[in-house]
Amino acid sequence: MSNSRQKSKEEVIEALHNVASEMHDKMSKGTPPTMTLPVRSKSNIGFDQKLGVYKYGKKRTVRDAKSLGSARQLLRSLHVTEFIEEMINSGKSSTLREMYYISEAWGNGKFHSQNESNNLAEDLEIVTKCLREDFRLRPEEDGARIIGNVTFEERNRRGDWMRINCRDDVGDSGYGVPYNVESEKLRLIEEDVDFVMAIETGGMFDRLVENGFDEEARCALVHLKGQPARSTRRIMRRMSDEWKKPIVVFADCDPWSFRIYASIAYGAIKTAHISEYLASKGAIYLGITADDILAYDLPSDDLSKQDLGALEAELSDPRFSTGWWQQQIDLMKEMGKKAEQQSLAKYGLDFVTDTYLPEKLAHPDVGLPY
Amino acid sequence: MSEEKPPTGKQKQIAISEFFEKNKHFLGFDSLQRSIITAVKESVDNSLDACEEERILPDIRVEINRLKDDRIELISQDNGPGIPRGSIEHVFGKFLLGSRFHAIRQTRGQQGIGITGVVMYSQLTTGSKTTVVSKVIEESSAVRVDLGIDTRKNKAIKSGENREVWVDEVTGEEVRHGLKIRTEMKAKYQRGRQSVYQYLRMTSIVNPHASISLTVKDRDGGVIEEGDWPRTTDRLPRVVEEIKPHPHGIHLGTLQRMLRESEERKMTSFLRHNFSGVSMRAAREILKKAGLEESRQPRRIRAEEAQAVLDSFQKVKLLNPPTDCLSPIEDLLIKKGLSKAIDSRFASTVTRDTRVTQGNPFQIEVGLVFGGDMPADSPIEILRFANRVPLMYQQGGCLLTKAIESVDWKRYGLDQPGGKGVPKGPAAVLIHLASTNVQFTSEAKEAVASNEEVIDEIRRALLEVGRGLRNHLKKSSQRKKAREKFELINVILPEISQKSSQLLGREEPDLAPVITQIMNAVFCEEALGWNVDGKLTTCDITVFNYTARARAYTILAKWPEGDGVEMVYNPLGGRKETHGLWAWRLDTLDPGSSAVISFSVSGLGKGDWVDMEIFFRGNGDIIGATKIDENLLGEMRKKEALDAAVEEARGSEDDAMVGLAERAGESSDEVSEGAVETDWGSIAPESGVDE
Repeated sequence: MSNSRQKSKEEVIEALHNVASEMHDKMSKGTPPTMTLPVRSKSNIGFDQKLGVYKYGKKRTVRDAKSLGSARQLLRSLHVTEFIEEMINSGKSSTLREMYYISEAWGNGKFHSQNESNNLAEDLEIVTKCLREDFRLRPEEDGARIIGNVTFEERNRRGDWMRINCRDDVGDSGYGVPYNVESEKLRLIEEDVDFVMAIETGGMFDRLVENGFDEEARCALVHLKGQPARSTRRIMRRMSDEWKKPIVVFADCDPWSFRIYASIAYGAIKTAHISEYLASKGAIYLGITADDILAYDLPSDDLSKQDLGALEAELSDPRFSTGWWQQQIDLMKEMGKKAEQQSLAKYGLDFVTDTYLPEKLAHPDVGLPY
Repeated sequence: MSEEKPPTGKQKQIAISEFFEKNKHFLGFDSLQRSIITAVKESVDNSLDACEEERILPDIRVEINRLKDDRIELISQDNGPGIPRGSIEHVFGKFLLGSRFHAIRQTRGQQGIGITGVVMYSQLTTGSKTTVVSKVIEESSAVRVDLGIDTRKNKAIKSGENREVWVDEVTGEEVRHGLKIRTEMKAKYQRGRQSVYQYLRMTSIVNPHASISLTVKDRDGGVIEEGDWPRTTDRLPRVVEEIKPHPHGIHLGTLQRMLRESEERKMTSFLRHNFSGVSMRAAREILKKAGLEESRQPRRIRAEEAQAVLDSFQKVKLLNPPTDCLSPIEDLLIKKGLSKAIDSRFASTVTRDTRVTQGNPFQIEVGLVFGGDMPADSPIEILRFANRVPLMYQQGGCLLTKAIESVDWKRYGLDQPGGKGVPKGPAAVLIHLASTNVQFTSEAKEAVASNEEVIDEIRRALLEVGRGLRNHLKKSSQRKKAREKFELINVILPEISQKSSQLLGREEPDLAPVITQIMNAVFCEEALGWNVDGKLTTCDITVFNYTARARAYTILAKWPEGDGVEMVYNPLGGRKETHGLWAWRLDTLDPGSSAVISFSVSGLGKGDWVDMEIFFRGNGDIIGATKIDENLLGEMRKKEALDAAVEEARGSEDDAMVGLAERAGESSDEVSEGAVETDWGSIAPESGVDE
């Protein structure tokens, strides 16, 4: 993220102190301490015209100390604040997992699962409008893998800038995206591609690599590894912004893949506070679409109860409110079917690169030259 | 029957063998698995009965050893009175013998043909003899004798009789009195719901005064199963009185025989002296309704006249038969027995008043335990007993089971798929039916036959323990909530205050108004403890006012008032509200303040009283206590007074008093219709108390 956005130590500490201050003020007035944060659900995300992505709306929820559970959360927030302050002052950083273990020493403020500590870190990001990088907290989640004719410079552990071409300088597994892809760590140097293709599954990524699709189609292939990590979404956003490359998403045809796409194109509900840094507006959903299942007569599986529930939820998700998505979801519900990317292998190993992708990319709705 | 002269010779021999063979299904020897259970049952029942009669606290040891093939050795030993040498053959060697056959009172009763059947079965399946060692206190040595049965003469054959000094193998001490049986039989030992282990476990539950142990060894001498159920009380079951038959349970044949054999000169005295529940007034009325002179001589009553008497029995209001012919286990001992056998968190028990069906007194006792190690997702365990004897077979066809199935358990916190049938959950339900005449569905005596009055009574008892469970569950959840709130205000909130002040470098705020806002309720906490030195159960009830207003309450606590159970320390005084309910009036509680009521109770053992119910009188709710229902309380007081009157009247021979008691009984019946619902569990109003 650009340096202008990076907050100073003092700003971060002040923002965190405001959280503590809200609690203290309430208690001084004789009322239970509180923490106010946006409602983090699909009912409270809206399209931000200026930023072109989905952001949290105005709905606020107040976490107060009237129940034991939320009182504990408040206490934890204070411990986390103290911990971050110490790290900032001593120039250290830690992973979210380390923080989870460190909380063992926090007595009644300790976390009972890593999920709790991850969620609370997110809560604090949202309330303080800081990023976890500002808090010196790192995720353990893997970044993506990239293959294609694009060149980055990454600052290595010795502090030297290392030039890496993602076609020539990497093995078959590609370039591993680090957790921090901000400009102080990673620079975008040069490229010779027409677009960036994000691929949901490792199997399909490897298929495209083996078939040399990156060179044939002049694109950078990004393996998402399921729900993409923040750094994966951020690096795509940077390629989209700095190189002006279109992003296309190639995923399974099921409700969960649709959400992956939405998190790339519009922003995820959980991270809607930083959508403008993570979402690549204009990202295109290439496939597999519900139409494709019919058009290519793909082998399919029945939708499970959970699948149907997820589709139903998406129908009322503002990010899927366009006619095209509504039609796709309705069609899927009607068929009661879903299909994997790799079902294309029905027509042979080369079908995806020889026929399917070229046809899809050339489709007027996508309009990419191939 | 035993009085009749047995047929002689070959005919008899066939009869006895055939009798056994034909009837082995209801004698309990129809399968190899069941035979060993029946054998244990016969010997243990005999031991318990003998000890009870002699007022000895029973120590019973059962040893089972697997031998080769399907043979099993059974050794059973007790510390009972023993059997005098001369009576051994009599007790062990004769069919259809038993002094209890005509007595009307509650006994464990003979299953089939008693211990003789064991000797018989052993002889028929293995050809071996049964060894009996008996020591009576009056003799200096024990007698050992081997017994077989002469099926020809229906009597025992003794052999190898000798005297010996009996030294107990376990204690190494000489046995002063007791009985030991060793027998060998064809049988299969199995585990599970229908096993010797289960039988003894159940027996120990309803015989908390007995110590019972079991060791089962395999052919190689390795122990395969073991059980040890020590006694939990030194109180023997009370001595039961034999009673005269009640007119409502009599058949024409019996009445005619009684009339024929009567020495009485007048019908009035015949009725009064030969039946229970018949007063002078009632006797006169019966005869009047039957159209008979009071002075008629019983022996001269003709058949149709006897029928008229029988008919008028039903038309006259009679006193219930006396109930001291029954021996209930009693609430507290059921609780002890259950908690000895089953690890649980909660126990609720009830002993209902004695009732009468068809002239036979019966009494229902029910116990319910919940929680602990019991599996949460399988059907509850049902423990059925008739006259302290476990019923292990035919559960589905038994009235006791049907009563359980007829209750809507969901209301009481147990899962009941489909809203009927045996509920699921971590619970066990015990039902004990005590009666002078338990009606079974068949000779096998494993399932109680249908009877409207009995099932009704069981249902009421079940609802009562069910309410106890519901209250317990509600209380547990209330307690959990209260604990959380206390942790919140006492631990978490001060830390939030301290941490935020420290981070910001500010003064710590005053938390008192914050706490009031968070709690905004009155809480009640009780703690039951045990004072070792004084052998006292200590009770502390603490009431916290975490509201912004001053509050005034009267707190009422239910306590196990009864024989020898007294309040010995109660500095706050208060007053008795009714039997088992004490009330204390608290001074006004200011916001943020609390009050403690402490008292101690004597006469209970450690762990006898673990769950206290607290009620209150006053405005606003108290979390952890229930608002008392004044109407129900009033009715309970009334019932208590009436019960006392009836009790007093019963003790009197005066006919006038009996008449009075009958009337009191009538009105007490009316009250008890409603009062059935005034049981302790429901002193709280049914609705509106749930949060």
